[in-house]
Order: sequence, then C-alpha cells, then structure tokens
Amino acid sequence: MKKVLVADDEMSIRLLYSEELKEEGYEVYLASNGKEALEIVEKVPVDLVILDIKMPEMDGIEALRQIKERRPDLPVLLSTAYGEYKQDFATWASDEYLVKSSDLEDLRAAVKRYLKD
Amino acid sequence: MASERDTVLTQMVEVITSTVSFGERLSNLVHLLGRYLKVDLALYFALDKTKETLKLEISSAGAVPPHLRVEFPSGEGLVGEVAQTRKPKVVYRHQEGVRAANAALEKLHPSFYTLAAFPVADDNYLYGVLLLVDKAERAFTSTERHMVYLATLMLAGTVRQAILQEDAKKRIAELSVLFEVGKALSSTMELDELLERVVSTTAKVINARGAALQIVDRVTGEVRVSSQYGQIPTTEIYPGLAEAPQRLLTAEVPYLEGQTTDSEGQVHYHLIVPLVFKGSLQGTLCVFDKLTPNGTYQEFDPENRQLLFTMAGLIVNSLENALTYQQVETLAERNERMVRNLTALQEISRAMLTTVQEERLLEIILQGIVQEQGLGFDRGVVLRVDEAEQVLKGVKGARRPEGAAPVPLSEALLQPLSNELPVSDWRIPLRPDMGPLPLAVLQMRPYHVHQREPEALAAGPYDAQEFFVVPLVVKDRVTGVIVVDNQASSRPLEAEPLHALQMLATQAALALENARLYSTIEANNRELMLIRERMLESDRLAALSSLASGMAHEIRNPLVAIGGFARRIAKLVEKDSPLRGYVEVIQEEVSRLEKLLREILDFTGENLSYFGDHDLEQLIEDTLILVQRDLEANNIKVVKELTKLPRIHCDDRQIKQVFYNLFQNARQAMPHGGTLTIKTYPLEKEDGLYAAIAVADTGGGIPLEVLHNIFSPFFSTKDYGTGLGLSIAQRIVSRHYGQIEVKNELGKGATFIVTLPIAKYCLLKDADRGRAMASALNVPTGGRR
Repeated sequence: MKKVLVADDEMSIRLLYSEELKEEGYEVYLASNGKEALEIVEKVPVDLVILDIKMPEMDGIEALRQIKERRPDLPVLLSTAYGEYKQDFATWASDEYLVKSSDLEDLRAAVKRYLKD
Repeated sequence: MASERDTVLTQMVEVITSTVSFGERLSNLVHLLGRYLKVDLALYFALDKTKETLKLEISSAGAVPPHLRVEFPSGEGLVGEVAQTRKPKVVYRHQEGVRAANAALEKLHPSFYTLAAFPVADDNYLYGVLLLVDKAERAFTSTERHMVYLATLMLAGTVRQAILQEDAKKRIAELSVLFEVGKALSSTMELDELLERVVSTTAKVINARGAALQIVDRVTGEVRVSSQYGQIPTTEIYPGLAEAPQRLLTAEVPYLEGQTTDSEGQVHYHLIVPLVFKGSLQGTLCVFDKLTPNGTYQEFDPENRQLLFTMAGLIVNSLENALTYQQVETLAERNERMVRNLTALQEISRAMLTTVQEERLLEIILQGIVQEQGLGFDRGVVLRVDEAEQVLKGVKGARRPEGAAPVPLSEALLQPLSNELPVSDWRIPLRPDMGPLPLAVLQMRPYHVHQREPEALAAGPYDAQEFFVVPLVVKDRVTGVIVVDNQASSRPLEAEPLHALQMLATQAALALENARLYSTIEANNRELMLIRERMLESDRLAALSSLASGMAHEIRNPLVAIGGFARRIAKLVEKDSPLRGYVEVIQEEVSRLEKLLREILDFTGENLSYFGDHDLEQLIEDTLILVQRDLEANNIKVVKELTKLPRIHCDDRQIKQVFYNLFQNARQAMPHGGTLTIKTYPLEKEDGLYAAIAVADTGGGIPLEVLHNIFSPFFSTKDYGTGLGLSIAQRIVSRHYGQIEVKNELGKGATFIVTLPIAKYCLLKDADRGRAMASALNVPTGGRR
C-alpha cells in the first residue's frame, strides 16, 4: 500500500484529506507542521507528500526544500489557500502547486498521477 | 660850363624821378651822360647775378640789335675787371692787352681808342658797369669824373629801386597765389580735386610746361602719378621720374634738379621736391620745363624752388587733414557698427532668456545671425557634437530672408525661421583631417577660412569660399559649432560682426546647454512622477489586497473542509433520502463562495504585478535617463548598439530595476571614466528565442577571487551600497524565466548578459516551461491596468 504524508495545521483539512486518501486506498500519515512532516519522512518511507504552505514552526516551503534535499525523487505537492506563492521561485521545486478547493478532484488526480504503479 | 653841368644834373634828377618805365629812365640817364661828356658811346652793362656775367643792356646809340649783344664774364675785359674791383679805370687801345681783352667791343665801335669804365654800385651791391667809349684819346677832368660818379649813383639807385619793385611785385603775386591755394585747402573740396588745383596752380605760377604729384603707395611701395597738369615728360625723356622718391630718400638731397636732352636735341629741365609726411617720404611734387616769354625752355631758379617747397608743404598739410578726417570717419563708422552689433547681441540674449526650449533657442540664435538688423550674415548653421558617434551633426541652419521688408530685430526674433536650410543629414566625423569644422571642435578655437584647400573639400557639405566657424564651449567642453558665411552676397566677412558672433556663441552655448539640462530634468521629473503615481496606487491596492486576502485565506480553509465533508456526506446519503437535497445545497453554496473568493483574490492581486508587453529599447532609454547625469559626472561615454526586437512580456518596473542596477554597477566600476556599451540582440537557445541585453564596462574586470560571489546577497566590494544590486537583478531576471551571466575579461572589463524569453516562441516550444510561464504570463485581464 502506498504511503501518503499530509501536513496541514488545520485539523479539519487533515481529516478531510486523510478520509479521501484512505478511501482511494492509500496509507495516510498526518503532520500538523513542517517539522513533524520532516520527522515522519525520516522514519517512514513515504511515497508522496502533500504540504500546506502556511504552517507554524516550519512552513511548507522550508519543509519542501529539506525534503527535496533528503529525497530529491520524492514527489511533493503543495496544497495551499494562497495563489501568490506561485510567484516565489522557491515553490518551483515542488512537483505540483495546487490551490485548495472543496472539490478535491484536482488533488486526487495529481496523487494518482504520481503514484500510478 | 657850370651852368651846363647844372642843367644836366637837373635833367638827370628829373629823369630819375619821372614816372616813365625803369628801362626808359635808365636809357635816358645813359644818353644824358654821353651827350654831356661828348663821348662816342656810353654803354651800361648789367650784372646777371646767377651767371656772374655782365651783359650790354643800354647803349647811347639806341636799341641794341641782337647781333650786337656783348657779354663780359666777371673778371674779363675792362668791364669784367671793374665789376670785380669796383674801381673806375681808363685804358687806351695802344696799351698792351687792351685790344685783345676788349675785342668784343669792336662790334660796336670798330675804331675805339679810349675806354673808361665806372662801377654802378651802392654800399652793398654792384648792379653793373658804365663804359664810355671814344675814338680819340680822352682824359677826364675831375669835374667830369665827379659828374660820372653822380650819374653812376643815380643809375645804381634807379636799378635798386627797380629790383625792389620787381621783388615786391613777385611777392604780391606769390602771396595772392598762396592765398588762393589756402582758400582752396580750407574749402570742402574733395581731396583729389584739391590736389589737382594745387598742381595746376603751381605750374601756372612757376610758368612750367608741366607739373605732377607722385604718391608712393603705402602697401605696394609703387609710385604713381596722382595729379598732373600740362606736359609731363615721358619716361623716354626723363626715365628717372618714378625713381625720384627713392633717390631723394637714399641720396639725402633736399631736392632734385637737372636737365636731360631728348632724341631731337631739345633740352628739358626738371625740379623735384619731396613730400615728407609724418617723418616719412610719401611722394614728390615735380615741375618740368620753365617757359620763357618767347616759348623756349629754361631752368628753374631758387625762387621757383622755394615756391615748390611751399606748395609741397601745403599738399602735405591737406593730405594730413584728409587722412585724419578719414580716420575719424572710419572710427565713427566702426563705433556705429559696434554699437549696432552690441544692441543686436543684447536683443538676442534677451530673447534667449525667454525660453528653455532648444528648438526655440536655435531659431532665435539663427534669426539673430541672418537678420539684417542682427549680425547680418548670409547664412548660419548650428552643428552639434555627438560624443557617442564622434561626429558633428547638422542641427539647424538658416539663410538670410530675401526681399523681405526689414523687420525690427526684436520682432524678427519672435518669428519662426522663414527660410531654413536642410542640414539634418550633415554628419562630419570629428577628425583633424576633416576640415575646419571638426578642427574648431578639437582645438576649441574659431577658424576663419578664406579659401578652400583641396583636402578640406572632403570635409562635407560646407561649400563657401570664405566662412567662419566658432565653437560652442561650455565649461571647457565643446558642444557644437556655429558656421556663418556671406557667400550669397559675396561680401567679405568683417571683423566686427565676427567678433559679435563669438560673443553670441558664448551665450548661445550656455543657453543651449541649459535647455538640454532642463529637458533632462524634465524627463527625470516625468519618470519620477510616474513612479510615484504607480507606487501610490500600488500602496493603495496592496493595503486593500492584504486586508481582503487575509480574510479570504482565513475563510478558504474552513470552506474547503465544509465543502469537502459535504461531498463525503453526499456520497453516503441514499438517493431518495431528504438529506441528500440539504447536502447538495451546502455543496452548491460552498462552491459559490469559493468562486467568489477566487474572484476577490484575483482582483486584489494574488498576481499583483505590472506584466505587460514592453519594448526593450524603450526600457533601456528610460533607465538611461535616470543614470545619465551620474554617467556624465564620471565622464563615461555611452555607446548603444540596439537591435530591433519583439516586445518582451515582463514587469517593466522590475526590468528597469535590473538595468538600473547593472548601469550603476558599471559606473562604479569606472570611477575614472570609460565606455558603457549597451548591446541588444536575439539569441536562440534550446528552449526558444531570447532577447539578450549585454551591458559592458571598461572598468578592468572583476577580480577572480570575488567573481563567484557577485550574485550573493549582501556581497559588495564597495564601501557603499547594500550589496543587493546584483542579487536583486538576478532574482528579478529569474522570475522572468531569464538568465543573467557575467563574462569577465581581466584588465579590460566585465560584461553582464541578461537573457529574457521572447514570450510567444517559448510558449510554443517547451511544454513544461511553457506551462509554468503561462501561469506567470497569463495575468488575468481584470488585474492588469
């Protein structure tokens, strides 16, 4: 079973994403900030990471940088309420930049694309 | 006897006091004496002073016919002897030597025997000799001798009186001549006419056949006859006429006098006196061939000479007067012209003060140059130095208006040029071999060109035979030149207007420079105003945006959760359950809110930027305006090699920031001046077409030990600045999906090359990049202004 890590400081979002992904048949790990996410990445061989950007302790951009340093091949998706970070070239290292929406079709499609096999 | 003597004496006294002519009185005296003494002949020999000869003038036998004329040189014969000794002497024919010495007398009295000679003299002068001739041997009694003595005294008195009378007459005649001449001199007569009259009067008074006034030309030294009267000798007769001034000068004689003989044996006489004027010889006054009453020629006497000197003096005086007058007139004329030029200059500079617009200034300057009431040149052209291209470029030219009614200068200066010269295509390289125009710039001095040298013909469009070029100098820098000529009217270029032009050039240079500075400042101001407006607007939008986006984001997360879970619920609810409708309402309402949020965030500037299609050349020019003064202050020349490129999709403010940082960086690399070269060119890369902008300095290059650090933030080799310049530039260029790199040539300089994608081509080629770019480039139209 593929392992997906979701990092978001909003409990409701974590819950929503985890329900959705479990339903799709993934094993879901949850973190409430970048730091927790990094700890999980170091312990668990996750297959994909979904990062929120605005998080306390460590934000998604820094987490993205550190994850890519450790595991450059690990797909990382940014899922954020903000559109303007797209301008910041630090976010270009991500594999996908998604603006949050209650219609989770985009997210599901992206995850599926990276975890095809 | 006594009574006879008394009678004779009485008669003699009557004769000498009579009013009959001098000759008759003399003749009567001689007759009376001859009759009283009963001698065969009584003769009076008059002394000719100049030749020292004694000439028979009166004979008791009556008028002396020409063939009987007798002369005795002083000292020869009895007459000559008595004239020398001034003592009476009686000799007889038989005495030794008497006949031989007095042989001439045999013409008058072939058989004379007694000769008695008496001097006719007063206390001072000898006037002649009285000779009594008789065929018999005669002795004279003391009474007779006394009688003769009285007669000689009377003769002497009569002659002296006659001489005095003659002198007085001559003096009066001379005085009246001088009076006439003096009157003429003080009249308003033209100089030439006056000299003519002096020369003719001189000839008439002296009774010369001809007279001439020769003047030495001051410039060429040639001698020419300025006035003449009557017959003056041809060079054949008197070849020395033209050399006379030179001879008078070198021989150091006060005058020249002499005679020459022509081919027919006729003797000619000349008398030449110098005209000395202000200490130097200016010419000569000459008379030729004094006429005797019967038309033959004779030589001039000392009195003639005296008169000639007097006339020469008068001529010199009048020449002096005329010259002084002429000088005063010239000075007055020059003053008038100077005042006119100064007035014109004042008018022009007053007009120049009314504007700071270059175009208007040029019109005023050129009007001032070509207007009749201004400096009055036929043509004037202003050329500007283009330092980047090292050429003189024609800016504006004007020709003097033809046939137009003269307008007061102050009015003319306000009018636009009515006959402009097409000079905008004039381009003269700034090299010394390109003629006087570039030379005036290079040597920073005016050139007065009289005749075109063949090599100067290559120097471009200036075709006048004579022209004047004056540099426009501001703070030891030549900004251009003004060229003028009078080719159309073929008048020479005179000193005064040229002097005025140089004064005008000084003012014109300053005014034009001020206009240029003013326009730079104006452009800077405009740019600053624009920036300020944009900043204000962006501040306003930013404030609104940060408020709205803050709220929107706060709302978005819960909305996603509500909507997301509503969808999950919808999946679980059975199709016919009434809950299903409720959940669908929640989903729809959330979607509506999310859509609204997207719209708000789009508008408030999730992508708040100024992306648009911009012309690269314009961006470079706009930025150059901002740094122009700094570059000039550092003595840095800007060379632009710009290629026409498609518009670039970019944020113009940010790209200008990049250029600004690069230009300032280049400037700081060249503290002692140099060249800033800006090149643009298209560049084909793997992923598409790019616009490349190369900014090169001549600042010696970047030291190798710091080269790898130059794009790092807070890195600076300078004591000033933030060290952010290049890192900001790099960041901005990256955001535009471009690159910035540096080519470093140690000892020469550094070249920063910025490459920016030319939008269309990139979008078409590479799918991945294209997509990334599309998101950046497809700025929602609502957000762009």
